[in-house]
Formats: sequence, C-alpha cells, structure tokens
Amino acid sequence: MPRHPADAVFGALADPTRRQLLSAIAEEPATATELASELPISRQAVVKHLGALSEAGLLARERVGRDVRYHVTPAPLSDAVSWMAEVGGQWDERLAALARRLA
Amino acid sequence: MTDRIERQLMLPASPPEVWEEITDPDRLSEWLADEAVLDLWPGGDAWFRIGDAIRTGWVEEVSPPGADGECGQLAFWWAEGDEPTSRVEIVLAPSRAGGTELRLVEARPLEVLDLVGIPLPGQGRTRYGPALVAAA
Repeated sequence: MPRHPADAVFGALADPTRRQLLSAIAEEPATATELASELPISRQAVVKHLGALSEAGLLARERVGRDVRYHVTPAPLSDAVSWMAEVGGQWDERLAALARRLA
Repeated sequence: MTDRIERQLMLPASPPEVWEEITDPDRLSEWLADEAVLDLWPGGDAWFRIGDAIRTGWVEEVSPPGADGECGQLAFWWAEGDEPTSRVEIVLAPSRAGGTELRLVEARPLEVLDLVGIPLPGQGRTRYGPALVAAA
C-alpha cells in the first residue's frame, strides 16, 4: 500500500511508460493483454504498471469474463482537461484583446 | 499533473506601457474584465466582474519592470464562488525590438492537493509543493 495517496499519484505519473499507458487507456478502455500487444513491453510489465496506476486511483478495473478491462476514472483527469480548455480559451480571448489595444 | 495553462505573446509596447495595461483598473476593464479592482501590494484585494460573474482574490506579488531591463511581475489569486482558487502570474520581459514579451501562467496548484485529500498549504503540510512541480 502507498504511504499516502499523493505519493501514489505522483509516483504513478512520474514514469513515462505509465503516462503512455494512461493516455492509451484514456482513448479506449483496454485489457493488459491488449495493451501489451500495442506497446513494446511485456504483459507482465504492463500489469505491474496498471497496478501502480490503479493504486493511485487513476484507473478502475472492470471484470469482463476472465479478463480485466481498465478504464480511466473520470473525475480527476477529465476535470483537469476541461479546466485547461476553458481557462486557456478565456486567456486567448483576453490576450488578443490586449494585443489589439497595443497594436 | 497540476492544472496549468501557459501563454506567451509579443506586444509592440514597452514593458512600462504593458505594466499599466495589466495593473491599472481602468485599462484592465478594457481587456481582462468588465470591472476590476486591484490593490497593488502583496495581500491586497483583487476583485473582478466578468459579465455576471464576480471573481475575488488577493494580490501576491507586484514588481514593476525596472529601467535597467528588469522583468515586471504581477501575481494574484482568484476564484469565482466556490470554485477552486487559481494563481495568475504575468511576467513582462523587454524584447530586443523595444517591445515586450508577456508570459502568462494560470494554475490551480491547490486542486491536486484537494483532490487527494491533502490539507492545503497553511494547514501545516507543504511537502508536496516541489513534487507537484516535478510531476507537472
């Protein structure tokens, strides 16, 4: 068990392979076997990384027959993405207005 | 994974001129908000009306651009209603052509802490600050 939830989140996202896995799963929920066939790493390594991402609360498991399918837990990531899109769009408009004033 | 947006743009005006644009309430109301109040000292009030929405917060840093080419820096925190507070930082650097390079960052560093149930800064735990930067 992680010492603290935050340690798990930061630890999980610090690894480039795990970030790659997370973005692949964000596009489409997948099983460890499917992910291993898409990425140049073994199924065993995929399972280990998925475990770290799950412990961090970034992935949820869903049992499908004998397999386990992983999907991204919606709250943390989609909230961040929508915030960045909204706030980024607002600043684009404001800074364009500022640039027009100084042109 | 700190929520953060960053923008950079070149403006055809000197840093002191751009500084007026980003600190003078009358000028702020021309591009940033419909109405603005900014008390230009650390801890001062920041208040903005954007349409029907009111954003309140406080000023963290006020460093006007220096005559010797020193960058200007303004930082404030703002939030609308119960939304998480975010930090806005604007840095003005002189460009070679006599204009200004403006860099803007808005981030809500507290959001991640809140998300994972960590007490916010000021409540006795700050050890996750550097980790947030590293994970961004």
